[in-house]
Amino acid sequence: MSSADPIFTPLEFRKLTLKNRVLRSSLAGRFNNYDGTGTQIHVNWDLKFARGGVGAIISSNAPVHPRGIIVPNYAHIDSDETVPFWRALVDQVHEHDCAYIIQLAFSGRQRDIGGIVYEQGWSATDAPEPIHGLACEKMTRADIDEVVGCFAAGARRAREAGADGIEIHGCNGYLITQFLSSAINDRDDDYGGSLENRARFAREIVRAIRTEVGDDFHLQFKISAVEYNDELFPWQAPGNTLAESIQVCRWLEEDGVDGFHVSSGASFPHPRNPAGEFPVEDTVRGYDTMISSGSHTWRNYLIFRTWPLNKLFKRRWEQAAKGRVEGINLADCRGIKQAVSVPVVCTGGFQTASIVRSAIERGDCDGVTIGRPLIANNDLVRLWAEGHDRPPNPCKYTNKCLINQVENPLGCYELSRFRSHDEMVREIMSVFDPPAFPDGGTAVDEAVAAERRG
Amino acid sequence: MADPIFEPLRFRSLTVKNRLLRSNISGRFDDYDGSGTQTRINWELKFARGGVGAIVSSWCGVDRRGFIVPNYASIDSDDRMPFWRELGERVHEHDCKYVLQLAHGGRQRDIQGIQFARGLSSTDKADPLHGFEAERATPAQLHAISRAFADGARRAREARLDGVEIHGANGYIFTQFLSSAINDRDDEYGGPLENRARFLLETIRAIRAEVGDDFHLQVKLSATEYANAFLPWLGRGNTIEDSVRVAGWIEEAGADAIHVSSGSTFPHPVNPAGDMPLQEAIGVYDTLLSSGIHTFRNYALYRTPLVGRLMAKRWSRPAGSVEGANLADSRRIKQAVSIPVLCTGGFQTASVIRAALGRGDCDAVTIARPLVANNDLPRMFADGLDRAPRPCTFCNKCLFNVLENPLGCYDERRYDSREQMVAQILSVYDPPPFTAGRPPAKRAKGAVTR
Repeated sequence: MSSADPIFTPLEFRKLTLKNRVLRSSLAGRFNNYDGTGTQIHVNWDLKFARGGVGAIISSNAPVHPRGIIVPNYAHIDSDETVPFWRALVDQVHEHDCAYIIQLAFSGRQRDIGGIVYEQGWSATDAPEPIHGLACEKMTRADIDEVVGCFAAGARRAREAGADGIEIHGCNGYLITQFLSSAINDRDDDYGGSLENRARFAREIVRAIRTEVGDDFHLQFKISAVEYNDELFPWQAPGNTLAESIQVCRWLEEDGVDGFHVSSGASFPHPRNPAGEFPVEDTVRGYDTMISSGSHTWRNYLIFRTWPLNKLFKRRWEQAAKGRVEGINLADCRGIKQAVSVPVVCTGGFQTASIVRSAIERGDCDGVTIGRPLIANNDLVRLWAEGHDRPPNPCKYTNKCLINQVENPLGCYELSRFRSHDEMVREIMSVFDPPAFPDGGTAVDEAVAAERRG
Repeated sequence: MADPIFEPLRFRSLTVKNRLLRSNISGRFDDYDGSGTQTRINWELKFARGGVGAIVSSWCGVDRRGFIVPNYASIDSDDRMPFWRELGERVHEHDCKYVLQLAHGGRQRDIQGIQFARGLSSTDKADPLHGFEAERATPAQLHAISRAFADGARRAREARLDGVEIHGANGYIFTQFLSSAINDRDDEYGGPLENRARFLLETIRAIRAEVGDDFHLQVKLSATEYANAFLPWLGRGNTIEDSVRVAGWIEEAGADAIHVSSGSTFPHPVNPAGDMPLQEAIGVYDTLLSSGIHTFRNYALYRTPLVGRLMAKRWSRPAGSVEGANLADSRRIKQAVSIPVLCTGGFQTASVIRAALGRGDCDAVTIARPLVANNDLPRMFADGLDRAPRPCTFCNKCLFNVLENPLGCYDERRYDSREQMVAQILSVYDPPPFTAGRPPAKRAKGAVTR
């Protein structure tokens, strides 16, 4: 491996330099407390990737307001009391020469499990989310101002916690997509209608953050380059095109964004993101918890349980990616990269060094962000550094990690990747080591040890 | 004259300052693997501050295969001891004792998690209500489980806790052996009552052999099983006469107290008795759909308008009949043994408790739901109140919500507003694990180097 390997060339943003071109993409497990306070387990989880050699970690989806959760038990950044947790996490990640970027997020209507605090999410619209039928309330002008302020406060907290930057979660069907998308946004005020109006919410967030944290704090924006809103239900409108997204990125760059993160899809999950298999059996096991969340969930659950409806659904879901997972967003990413002058990173199943290298060399992107393949191989970057083109035991894109995380700890649930079920469970459970209360060497510990010695 | 409620209770090796114990209630406050958290400590301190004499811990698994729901703190390895030690120390600061409940679910596992597909039981038949599947335990497996209980007791002692309770009630593994309605074995662990009680008695002796004579050990027992209370075609299970005999054997084997409950399963119409909250059931039972072979049927029935209401009606007991429902059984057992007897079942009225103590129905009461509603119920009694101004309504919404939401009182009628209810429920997360004043002092040894 020569030092000229583009993967291991530093990635220079305006205010942040990463040691290589590989970022862990946002991945969330339900490792925290129900109220959004962070735990030791979340620290353990992120350290797996810091040790594995990525240049930066983008945090799990961090709600800037309790109403903006996707599911309970993700770490929030919605009050100043959350800062000590993030600071402890960032400090430990930094020990591995790894940068930490906190993803500021607001779910909007796309709340898989809404929890007990707010019965409905907020959205650009009052039409329920179409897959699960998650109900929502249309935001007023005052609500919009409040959420913009929450993003700015979240950015300030990230800075106070010593994080290296923030990412605005502007894609995958969450609140900002709900405003940006021509297929979802049905407003007739200043925040709906024309692309300029639909982008107003995102632009106000960026400008509010800049006002709050100043010019020298890294700020990147994650966007769904193409929304493919009609992918699953062909009677729906397609949503934003690449040309529209390029225009949005140009505006956001003017407003002070330092980098873009390219994804796709008007929902999460979406057949193209994370692209790959639809794991029927795991879904029947894991989706049950969501039945009480929406008005279509019982229907969906019955479909997932019923042959051949489940096979038909699976086929339809898997058709979109057509077997092409790794680099699925590269062409769209290239379109955005050519239109902006800040670095652009791309997500989508990356785990082959030669594919990543040629994507960077071709100018499709400046770096890649990785989710699932890093769950399968936490040390993927080290494997590449050692000369592997692909890990010996790669991610199979079966998406069992994604489904299982609703009820079980996030990890790789693809049994065929392990020698045994026990080995798989051990690997999954390793995130709980060390526990919140490890052996501390206190006076009581000493007394107990003495007692044992007799 | 001294109030009997506030007279100390003297067990053989443990003295509790009053006659009010917090009964075991869990809450999914811990990590999925059973490691304990700050939130669990916050939860227990609510009751220690409220003035109970002792706390019986959450349902605490001694063996991974016996866990009933993920996210309950366990005692299945020595690594768990530092957590329990910290918890015990914090509870002791409030002049409150801490008794660890050692438990094994057997086949009764609401959410089995990712580790073991089936629980071990006396039988290989699935439980009749939810259809939780089971594997019949061999004698060797039973010895290993007794051993796990003994290890759990040793860890509790090393963690400086004040005693242990064997969970021998409510349908968990010992009920599955004791019960004539469940145990279908033809070896030395099945058949006559002596055989059905063997596993429990062996476990008591294993604990005594491990921790010695001077560590408090109590046993919780379902005095009457009412195994056919909901599904009338089942056998009725053990009667009070059976349990009186078992109680005598438990005392002989070395237990220091008996804790009287009822019911062959958990939950059961008689325990915790009260309402079956249909809307909550629909809201959270979905999580259980993948747990058992009858859960889909049950959920579909709950959702079916008339049928759901009929099921709820069949399950429910009038709120007025809940408090002290186990006292008659408790008295029968107390008359048969010379060790103290504790009784559970909806206690929240000082005069009811005082009368029960005065009549000799029991030596103390253990309380769960009314303390969830009013953490400071003992202080209210001490202040002279006979009942809390906003008593527990036995609506059982706490019980159902625990599967998906933080344990707490979900009866909105007891609060001024929904916001107040949510704030009260979420107060268990204060303080969080990482606070400004307390840097991650418990920084793990292996956290950085691994």
